[in-house]
Amino acid sequence: MGIRYLKKYAALEDIVTVEDAEALFGWLKQQAKPAVNLSKCVHVHAAVLQVLLMVRPQVHGDVTQPWLAHALNAPTNQP
Amino acid sequence: MNQTELLDQFILEARDCLEQVGQRLLEVEKAPTDTELLNDLFRQVHTLKGNCGLFEFKPLERVVHAGEDLLDRVRNGTLSYSNDIADALLEAMDFTVQMIDEIEQHGQINPAADGRSQALANTLRAHLAAKSVTADEGAASNASAASAVAAATATLATASVEPPPWLARIPQSLRDAHPEAIAWHYTPEPECFFKGEDPWLMALRAPALKHLCVGTQQPWPPLGEADCYQCNLDLVGLSDVPLAYLTEHFRYIPEQVEVCELASLAPAPGSVATPAGQEGGTAVHVGTAPASASAPPAGATAGQAAETLQRRALQIWDDQLELLSRSGTVLGTVQAVRATLRHLLEAIGEPGLIHLPYLATLDANASAAVLHQWATQHRPAVARAADALADTSGIGIAGDANAGPGPSMGNDASRRHPGDEGGHQKVLKVGQEKVDRLMDLIGEMVVAKNALPYLAQRAETVFAQRELSREIKAQYAVINRIAEDMQHAIMQVRMLPVGTVFQRFGRLVRDTSRKLGKEVALVIEGEDTEADKNVIEALADPLIHIIRNSLDHGIEPPQARKLAGKPAQGTIRVVARQESDRVVIEIEDDGAGVDPERVRRKAIERELIPEDKAATLSDADAVQLIFLPGFSTAEAISDLSGRGVGMDVVRNAVERINGHVELSSQLGKGTRLRLSLPLSMAVTNVMIIEAGGRRFGVPMDLIVETVRVHADDIHHFKHARTTVLRGRIVPLRALHELLALDDAPTLNDEGEHAVLVMRLGGENVGLLVDQFHGATDIILKPLEGVLAGLTGFAGTALMGDGSVLMVLNPKELV
Repeated sequence: MGIRYLKKYAALEDIVTVEDAEALFGWLKQQAKPAVNLSKCVHVHAAVLQVLLMVRPQVHGDVTQPWLAHALNAPTNQP
Repeated sequence: MNQTELLDQFILEARDCLEQVGQRLLEVEKAPTDTELLNDLFRQVHTLKGNCGLFEFKPLERVVHAGEDLLDRVRNGTLSYSNDIADALLEAMDFTVQMIDEIEQHGQINPAADGRSQALANTLRAHLAAKSVTADEGAASNASAASAVAAATATLATASVEPPPWLARIPQSLRDAHPEAIAWHYTPEPECFFKGEDPWLMALRAPALKHLCVGTQQPWPPLGEADCYQCNLDLVGLSDVPLAYLTEHFRYIPEQVEVCELASLAPAPGSVATPAGQEGGTAVHVGTAPASASAPPAGATAGQAAETLQRRALQIWDDQLELLSRSGTVLGTVQAVRATLRHLLEAIGEPGLIHLPYLATLDANASAAVLHQWATQHRPAVARAADALADTSGIGIAGDANAGPGPSMGNDASRRHPGDEGGHQKVLKVGQEKVDRLMDLIGEMVVAKNALPYLAQRAETVFAQRELSREIKAQYAVINRIAEDMQHAIMQVRMLPVGTVFQRFGRLVRDTSRKLGKEVALVIEGEDTEADKNVIEALADPLIHIIRNSLDHGIEPPQARKLAGKPAQGTIRVVARQESDRVVIEIEDDGAGVDPERVRRKAIERELIPEDKAATLSDADAVQLIFLPGFSTAEAISDLSGRGVGMDVVRNAVERINGHVELSSQLGKGTRLRLSLPLSMAVTNVMIIEAGGRRFGVPMDLIVETVRVHADDIHHFKHARTTVLRGRIVPLRALHELLALDDAPTLNDEGEHAVLVMRLGGENVGLLVDQFHGATDIILKPLEGVLAGLTGFAGTALMGDGSVLMVLNPKELV
């Protein structure tokens, strides 16, 4: 499905591919309070994950994938 | 088992595997969703790959590996099976068969095959990348695939014994809970997204993932300058699997992954941390580690580890027992075992420690038997994990290949008891040449046995020993019975189901019909029917020829079929069955049939028969003209058929093994070919005749009757002689003339000729001979060497009295 850009947040659904990363990055950068919903997300591409880690948007809904949740919750900028 | 034997075994098994794979591939194409089939197919390919790994056959392994990966995806449902994939897999399979052939012939693979193997592997991997739901492993499809795959077997860089800094990102508790796990550090290259890689997915898919955390290689740049397509991720994970699995998982990117075996972080005295990937199952030595290496673990996970440790220690203990119980154990081995036992007792802690003093009291030069007895008595009981918890923390068992001082200790086979396998092995794989040798030997035995009656006769007539003669005959009867049973048993071994030949048809029909744009279903019945190996082998080529003919000339294109009121899909039916002592194979198609008019015309055009004769032929007979050498009805020469080598080749091949072909065809309805073949070619029934004082054999299946014809009843017309038998004219030939013997055919007292009437090519021919001598079973040996060119003789046979019987080949002779 990819990404649906809604008023308040971007809904990432099913498999988010590498092509979606750039658009998501651009969109998130424009938002005052960037937010995403990952509850229907099955897999994000590493590039998308990287965008999420860079921008650190607010995450709506439960993240179903345990390792993804773990990665998003952990503090970044580790060596 | 030495290297050559291993190689032979490998070739044998690889062929088996490939045969199965070929069959499964076709079946899977019909039922692409059948998981059972897919699993079976995958298993076969997997076995094949595993076998390839034993040897240094890189090109072979590469292709098989790629095929396996592809099948794995299909099996998991992430990729759907399509015709393209089937084509790629079949092509790869063909290549593999070639490689195996080459290995069999030269013992190695021609380096030139490397390029093709690369190309095939890439094609296979292209399917992987193109159709996969997610884009991972896509890198394989691009140019770097070649080098990446080539490096696939290279071991990942193992971190030094010093714990690397990134290890700190894995929580200590997790590390302790999985003492044998492997931590890995994956730093994707910045450009990896452009190669279609998904490092995150790669990390997620790592086997037995216990921990995964994401970091950055460089601190994040300000958002405005950041490039989301420059990979800056840095992944650290923990997998509780042997190193080999991880090596396999990260095989495309070994240079980007660093691994660290947790077990090796606590180095033990005398044990060296070796990557377990290469040496398989050689853990004989236990290294004990100081307990200070890590903090006391907490919880039930540590208990599990301790339990594993105990279990493995006991396994090793049993291995030592095994080793001691073998005969011929040298002193060095005994001492090594002793040391191992001591280490084991120390390693498992409390339950073992109580035995330690006893071990010390044993005489230092105790024999293997004494030690064995001691070890059996003092085998530590299986203690509950909790008992030993405190003592066992931090003790790792290192797979140490260097530790076996005994020459055979590192040998995997030493663990198995020599007699163990006997119970569950039901099928013996024996090389064909061994069975052939048996067959030859029994042939000689039959001949030798046949000498006994002559001996008995001599005893009676020459030495006047009737008693002795009778005893010899009695003995002969016994030996005769045994020899016949034996011959029968060996023939049974040589029997193969005809299905082994039929297997190739599936592929042939599939490929050819696709090439011709026809729809053809192949129906095979009675593939279990058995016949002698030689018969089956001789059958393969003619049958393929027939099927090709059916595909090319028989089955019409779908439109033409619809117009004729037939289903668009044509059917080729191959039926095999046994009829008394012959195997009958029928190949039937529902195609256009053979047009007798066209056959007549073509035969005249190609000057195969005179025009007036063609006109007198009945339709059924005209159809038989296609068996004439040089006959072809095809207007254009395709690569399938139409070169004029056709049905005559088929007929010759079948007749060479004493079979015959019948063809019946109905225009517009279809064609049926019926091959009738002997079950076995080992024993030939011949009739012995005499001409010019010499004896000759004539194959029994050609003989119609033996008659005596009065010299007056023979009509001479110029040089030709004929006679009338039962109202039909039978041409006569004198064997004496055919063989250029000096004598003329003799007459018996009543002035009659002995005439052997044979059926050759549908017509009766009479052969004038001197005498008939009855029938006998012989083992026909073809003529070899300088005699091989004598087509007039089918071969020779050794008779019981030691004389050699020449067996005639009347088809060539007359």
